[in-house]
Amino acid sequence: MKHFTKLVRPYIIWAVVIILLPLLLIVLYSVTTGGNDLVNIQFTLDNFRRMTEPVYLAVFAKSFRLGLTAVGICLFAGYILAYFITFFSERTQSLLILLVTIPMWINTLLRTYAWICLLSDNGAVNTLLQMLGFQPVTMMYTDFAVLIGLVSDLLPFMVLPIHTSLCKIDHSLHEAAMDLGANKVQTFWRVTFKLSLPGVLNGIIMTFLLSISTFVIPKLLGGGQYMLIGNLIENQFISVGDWNFGSAISVILAFIILLAITGMKQFDQEEGEEE
Amino acid sequence: MKKNPFKKGICLLLGTLLAACLLGGCGNSGKPVLKVYSWGEYLDTSLLSEFEKEYDCKVIYETFDSNESMYTKLQSGETYDILVPSDYMIERLIKEDRLQPIDWSLVPNAAGLDEAVMGEEFDPDNTYSVPFFYGSVGILYDTTVVDDADLSDGWELLRNPKYAEDIYMYDSERDSFMPALKALGYSMNTTNHEEIDQAYEWLIDQRDTMDPVYVGDDVMDNMISGNKALAVVYSGDAAYTMRENEDLAFFEPKEGTNIWQDAMVITSDCTEVELAHAYIDFMLEPEHAYANTVEVGYTSPVVEARTKAAEEDFAGIPAYLPSTLGDNNEVFRYQDQETKEYFSELWTKVKAAN
Repeated sequence: MKHFTKLVRPYIIWAVVIILLPLLLIVLYSVTTGGNDLVNIQFTLDNFRRMTEPVYLAVFAKSFRLGLTAVGICLFAGYILAYFITFFSERTQSLLILLVTIPMWINTLLRTYAWICLLSDNGAVNTLLQMLGFQPVTMMYTDFAVLIGLVSDLLPFMVLPIHTSLCKIDHSLHEAAMDLGANKVQTFWRVTFKLSLPGVLNGIIMTFLLSISTFVIPKLLGGGQYMLIGNLIENQFISVGDWNFGSAISVILAFIILLAITGMKQFDQEEGEEE
Repeated sequence: MKKNPFKKGICLLLGTLLAACLLGGCGNSGKPVLKVYSWGEYLDTSLLSEFEKEYDCKVIYETFDSNESMYTKLQSGETYDILVPSDYMIERLIKEDRLQPIDWSLVPNAAGLDEAVMGEEFDPDNTYSVPFFYGSVGILYDTTVVDDADLSDGWELLRNPKYAEDIYMYDSERDSFMPALKALGYSMNTTNHEEIDQAYEWLIDQRDTMDPVYVGDDVMDNMISGNKALAVVYSGDAAYTMRENEDLAFFEPKEGTNIWQDAMVITSDCTEVELAHAYIDFMLEPEHAYANTVEVGYTSPVVEARTKAAEEDFAGIPAYLPSTLGDNNEVFRYQDQETKEYFSELWTKVKAAN
């Protein structure tokens, strides 16, 4: 079997070229100045220092606030959805899970444009409101529009891992809890929810990762003035052309995400040891 | 298990085939290829297949949404034969030696070009650039909402509290600083930091009091559906939009505006030089120029096409023929690195401010 280990080599080369090298380049860009062609570079920490300006810190704060809100809504809605799916027969369950993933088959951009059609000032929702005799509401280019776009985009990433965890729970544990005198609420919180925690954590990590670095959805549904970290980075790379500063923001973002994931994993392990 | 040399050979063979396929762009039957990089929604795309048929070649047509993103793509090492950027970007490309001169003898249709749009400051002798579209920037407004009397505010209309939360600005550094600088009475090509700072304050103040939305091409759909009352737009987008929604009108503020021009240029990377010239000539053919201008609404520099479009398709829509002559009108010029960085940082802050 030993020679099979050689099969991993192309993958390693691939990973170095496609993942490691660009990462190193980003780090190199973030600690230098002197243009994008890396001909005459000088090492500096100015790019990181710039991030401490209140304007940029506010962008970070806004991104986290919005990202965490989106994760929270996803968790609430996704858990309920996953929980009720488990009540169906196995066959129906796989069908329902398929339905949950169907939106993912369609390009994000297209789905976001669909939201624009629905939410714009003279869009479908407002037309309906007016027909029912209500005042039209401005929804486009607000927090609400961005949140609804994010949540609808991320929900499957929350539902799938939670559903997987819930499925694995042995039903006899519920019966045992009931037999020992726990009521339904107690059974849920102390047995079902606890055992589904790994799925919940995975779901939170996935949705948090995606929501914190998103830029297409806020750009389309929030307008150009809706600046999140992702937009700030995109802006630095695409229109401003300051790759050094853009890289510095990326490095900081990557670092924060790494910290968050490590923290989550730690929590997960401690939970696991308790049992 | 013993090594099987045969298997290894097959693997190698497959690998080589795959590589060859990737490098050679599978299925390219030896026709000359022309890579064109242009603004989005800027062409009657049926012309491309017509050109391909006529010259037995393949055209790869890619689009960008800002001069800056085009430049970034070039900088990342991508090569094209023909670019269609704007004035100041062409000036930059010339300065950086990225273009090759046009051989005007290969462009007989150039005779139909309007003399008035030739020889702009960014390329005084048209050594490198062949005009494709031109126009101005102004304010598109909803006549059912905006009071005609307010138009005398000029660019300050964009800070008139009556229209708070009712404004689209252009999500681009230079196109947003232009109204601010003009409103303050400065040149939009200024390098004076004090003037730039004042324009920055103007934009921040506008953000705080008016809550404008910064948009790109989606401004057209939004204005057609009548979502907001005011928008800063290019004259061509205005013409296109006004054709779809009769309530809209367009005006160029008296403080002066940006007179822009987008032109076709040939890059120094281009190897199919003759074909590239043929493409440029093809686009200047009055009939083709007419098809383009009607499709996208921008003003054609080809006199015959422009006259026909103005009389038939854009009758009663003055935005199609923008006045390019105002005293305070200017063309964007190339910015040196230092000024560009200064503007960029302020613009990032304008957008990021909460």
